[in-house]
Amino acid sequence: MANDSMPAAAESGAVDEELIEQAYEALDGSPVHDTRNQTKWEKWKDNFKKKGWILVFILPALIYVIIFCYVPMYGILVAFQDYVIGDQIIGSSTVWVGWDNFREFFSHPNFWDYFKNTFLLCILGFIVGFPLPIIVALLLNSLRAKKVKKGLQILYYAPHFISLVVLVGMLKLIFGTEGLLDQLSIKMGGDENGLKLFLSPEAFRPLFIFSGNWQDFGWSAIIYIAALSGVDPALHEAAKVDGASRFRRIFSVDLPAILPTIVMMMILSVGNLMSCGYEKVLLMQTTTNKVTSEVLSTYVYTVGLTDGRYGIATAAGLFNSVINVVLLVIANFTSKKISGSSMF
Amino acid sequence: MKKIIIGVVAAVLWLVGVVAFSVAASRAGASGAQFVVLTVKEDSVKDYNTMPVFKELAEDTGIEVQWIYKNSTQYSNTTDPVGTKGIDAIYHTGFSNLKLYDYGRRGRIVAIDEYLDVMPNFSEILEKRPDIREALESPDHHIYSLPRVEEMGLKAYPNILYINKAWIEKLIEENDMPAGVELTADMLKDGLDLSRSQFKAILEKFRDHDFAGDGKTVPLTFVSGNWQGNESDFIASFGVPENRDHKIIKDDTIISTIEDEKWFDAVCEMREWYKEKLIRTSSFTQSDIEFLARGQDGRYGAFYWWEKDTVLAKDLRDDYIIVLPLKDDDGNRYVGMSNELEIEKGECVVLSTCADKESLLSYFDKFFEPDYSAQLNYGSIKSGAFLPNKVGGKLIPQNDHGDQSADDFRMKNAPYGVVYLTEEVWNSSVEMESRAKLRLENLENYVKPYTIEGIKPIPNLNYTEQELKELNTYEAMLANNISGWFTKSITLEDPTRESWQGMLNTNKSALDAVLKINNDAYKRYLTATEKKV
Repeated sequence: MANDSMPAAAESGAVDEELIEQAYEALDGSPVHDTRNQTKWEKWKDNFKKKGWILVFILPALIYVIIFCYVPMYGILVAFQDYVIGDQIIGSSTVWVGWDNFREFFSHPNFWDYFKNTFLLCILGFIVGFPLPIIVALLLNSLRAKKVKKGLQILYYAPHFISLVVLVGMLKLIFGTEGLLDQLSIKMGGDENGLKLFLSPEAFRPLFIFSGNWQDFGWSAIIYIAALSGVDPALHEAAKVDGASRFRRIFSVDLPAILPTIVMMMILSVGNLMSCGYEKVLLMQTTTNKVTSEVLSTYVYTVGLTDGRYGIATAAGLFNSVINVVLLVIANFTSKKISGSSMF
Repeated sequence: MKKIIIGVVAAVLWLVGVVAFSVAASRAGASGAQFVVLTVKEDSVKDYNTMPVFKELAEDTGIEVQWIYKNSTQYSNTTDPVGTKGIDAIYHTGFSNLKLYDYGRRGRIVAIDEYLDVMPNFSEILEKRPDIREALESPDHHIYSLPRVEEMGLKAYPNILYINKAWIEKLIEENDMPAGVELTADMLKDGLDLSRSQFKAILEKFRDHDFAGDGKTVPLTFVSGNWQGNESDFIASFGVPENRDHKIIKDDTIISTIEDEKWFDAVCEMREWYKEKLIRTSSFTQSDIEFLARGQDGRYGAFYWWEKDTVLAKDLRDDYIIVLPLKDDDGNRYVGMSNELEIEKGECVVLSTCADKESLLSYFDKFFEPDYSAQLNYGSIKSGAFLPNKVGGKLIPQNDHGDQSADDFRMKNAPYGVVYLTEEVWNSSVEMESRAKLRLENLENYVKPYTIEGIKPIPNLNYTEQELKELNTYEAMLANNISGWFTKSITLEDPTRESWQGMLNTNKSALDAVLKINNDAYKRYLTATEKKV
């Protein structure tokens, strides 16, 4: 078979890569197919037969995504129902109410406050929290002493493993009523009633954002550190020869090298921009800071789990998710246009 | 290959055996039980299945009930308790009006009013007391739950002001009583007569002397927003009928208290007291448990609670006396009323899946008999909650429980829940606890006479489905917004007339809607209970 195909290539005078590949395969004695006249479908089938077993590796992830991400999506139908726990989502006991839940949610007197609080908390968190791990990764990467680098890295990502409840407990011990900061302030002649940071609506966002970033900046930096480890040392050598300072190399070598990772992470972060979770907000919430701390996710929690009004809670959650999807698409499109890198 | 097949078969047989054994064992556990009832119970409370009152009920009715439990955390994390497999009823459901109605109209819980012929006690109560029927009916006029009725006249006045008599005695001894306060040692007894400004002057002395030492002295404390021991009666002393719901019936109309100028004056005064460190931040952030724990070491100069024994360690109880409601600048004393209900619905529901609803409901009907109600509420006769023999036809509570306090004994031995204890029962069948009698006596002597004229607590009203949904949205929002402004205006910044009006304007539509819904429902309540507006 290999002998038949060789003269054809020689006649045409062109280098047929496929043919060469087949010839190589023929060297180990295995049969060689002539794929030149195969249709795409036949080629795909052929390929699948040869390498299809590799797909087994992605099967668990695929099953996981289908079961836990796609199957539960049918639950969004609850947003269009007067749902009581125990009702069938599609069945004889389903009570469809159209857009009523959305109407009730949008006409809630505090809707815009919740929306504004969510947006501000998330956007401020993004502005502070997104560049921080990149800066830390770049700085760690430019450290010469490897032991110091490792030590700092562990020190930075260790807080990630503190549970939320413990973290908020620590915050209360430090910043709460009669906490460390209050005691210090009183000792230094401040107001004897303390700073009352947990009561103050103005202090909620800084406390929430900075504690969150303190906990996670080291962990988030790992992905950038990994990306930086892939930068070709020859580039640094060349830059050094050209007389680039360490600072210059960060901007001209490291940063461009990890730019695709940064873009990818930014698109993913924008896709979660309106999701700030409810657990930590609820733990940090007090009567007086609700003006700034009541967000869409806590509203969903209260209305859904506390009041049992699942229809409205699902409608609110769906609204939040739709905003996230829109933001994701916009971020992806913008990134594609500007930098050429995108997720899809 | 053979070995593999034998292994697999053996494993399957073993698994089947284990499952069969577990099922058999679980059935054996419920041996003889005709019904399984899920209840919310903390681990510290004794097993209902071994409580003498339930054994007595079983003998009396011939109906066996097996009680199974979830603690309050487990229960609150159960999304659909009605969907729990293998149960016939839920006790201590804690279901809201809306939840009861939702489950009821879906047919998942039984409409109890359709089984009244097997419930003679409950039928009689509903006939005798239209207000109870009105309270229990859902928007579709069905009754989906059994109530708890415990009428002692205590809940409407949940705040009594206590002051540290021992510290005042020290001030008298040191001849350091504030100007304008003339007190002698023999005047220091329950019913101390003080104006608001005199009370403030004494608290200032407590603060300055730091009688508790190490800066621990808390001149005045309360638990803001708690059902008892809250700040409402401090605000009421300005002449506004405040309670933690900020609404009350005045002259047969439900009104809001926060719109009253006197309410704003009270907030301004509290801000001043806060700035002068007479009230601490903790009063607005502490839970009732924290408040009770802090009170044990005698650091409180004065506090609001409905009795002093639970707040103070045994050796400190004689150090505190009751202060009459503080005299306002106009020389009058004012006390508000709370809307805490003595008729509570949602105590027990029977599931539609129950095979023999009549029998189970006839069993629960027994709970309304005075002897059973008393034992369910305080503990069984056989466990020592009452004297073994009745006196004058009445059950007499046992006050001595050895090393245990009356509260501890009751918490361990009483299942609470569905009871019917009304004035009629107290007069004829059950003697009231001595602690309750003391509380009532204190209220009669030192609090009730100063109730603001024309006010009444809001009864358990019956709302339409739409009203329930609207209330659900507006009331939670109002509670957040009002308490947010209130606490902020005392702890963070001076309240101004503008900020108060701003808060009122922001919440006006919600407030108006809530008042309208409540007044409409109250009119219907009056019609249903045959009273005239």
